[in-house]
Amino acid sequence: MARAFSRRGKGKTVRYAAKLDAMERAVVAGLMEQVHDLVAPEPDAATTSGDGDDFDSIVSGLGGLGMGVSVSAEDQTPDQRPVPTDARSFGERDPALERLLPAGNRTDDQASAEFRRLTEPGLRQRKARHLESAIAALRAPGSGVELDERTAIDFVIALTDVRLVLGERLGLREDADVERLEEELADADVDDPRAHAMAVYDFLTWLQETLATAMLPVSRPPER
Amino acid sequence: MVGSVSIAPVQEEITSSDSLVEADVPWITLVWNDPVNLMSYVTYVFQSYFGYDRAKAEKLMMDVHVKGRAVVSHGSREKMEIDTEALQGYGLWATFQKDD
Repeated sequence: MARAFSRRGKGKTVRYAAKLDAMERAVVAGLMEQVHDLVAPEPDAATTSGDGDDFDSIVSGLGGLGMGVSVSAEDQTPDQRPVPTDARSFGERDPALERLLPAGNRTDDQASAEFRRLTEPGLRQRKARHLESAIAALRAPGSGVELDERTAIDFVIALTDVRLVLGERLGLREDADVERLEEELADADVDDPRAHAMAVYDFLTWLQETLATAMLPVSRPPER
Repeated sequence: MVGSVSIAPVQEEITSSDSLVEADVPWITLVWNDPVNLMSYVTYVFQSYFGYDRAKAEKLMMDVHVKGRAVVSHGSREKMEIDTEALQGYGLWATFQKDD
């Protein structure tokens, strides 16, 4: 049974510790690996590719790493719902990748394209590094996860990116989608794959909630 | 946005953006609501990246949650692009634009 993150100590010696069993750690690390493969800089980053073929080759063969939950694009049923016009610009890319690296400017396509050209390689690198750090923490020996401040930051961001991708795969694009999905799953077959994915998503939400709450800077009382 | 933390009621009369706006800084950074990011995490990001105190960070977070978006910083275009990149790095859905 997992135990939530809690903070121990303060300042430079602060530690955030959670108790997760081997399978829970493997599930989280497996999903982080899948998201790493989705977002890590493309081998030939100098050319602006990002087309479907490259993407498919990058995510191929990754099924199973998330203990039955795959966030790989090729395992998804296409989402036929219309994209809300004010919500986001999917372009030609995988919507989950587009959620991790969204358009930077909604009023000016040219500014958006320029922003993407300048920032995307760095953002991909940074996100990949957070995920690598979090995966290493999950695979460290021990009966749980123990993070120093730097690793905790990597970890809480990595959990965000995994939840964003998994959320997109579950069709969670607006607040109302969460309730809609819960209602659908209440009436669904027990072996509906979305039910397992949603359970994993809820577990990640709980884990991130406890870590983010433990990390919130303590507001000092006013000086007198 | 989702959250299980209890947050004090928002005072409706206070419009967050007014107190932040400076007359001659024409660019803004916006954060948009999404169903995935946690209220506690968004507050954490506003506190740690901008150095805002808890009250201001929670006010902005609630604006994103309730109104669908909030202006989180003002300044030069270059600075707003830096803020947008940093917030996207945290997984928040941030954009920059000219302040019309």
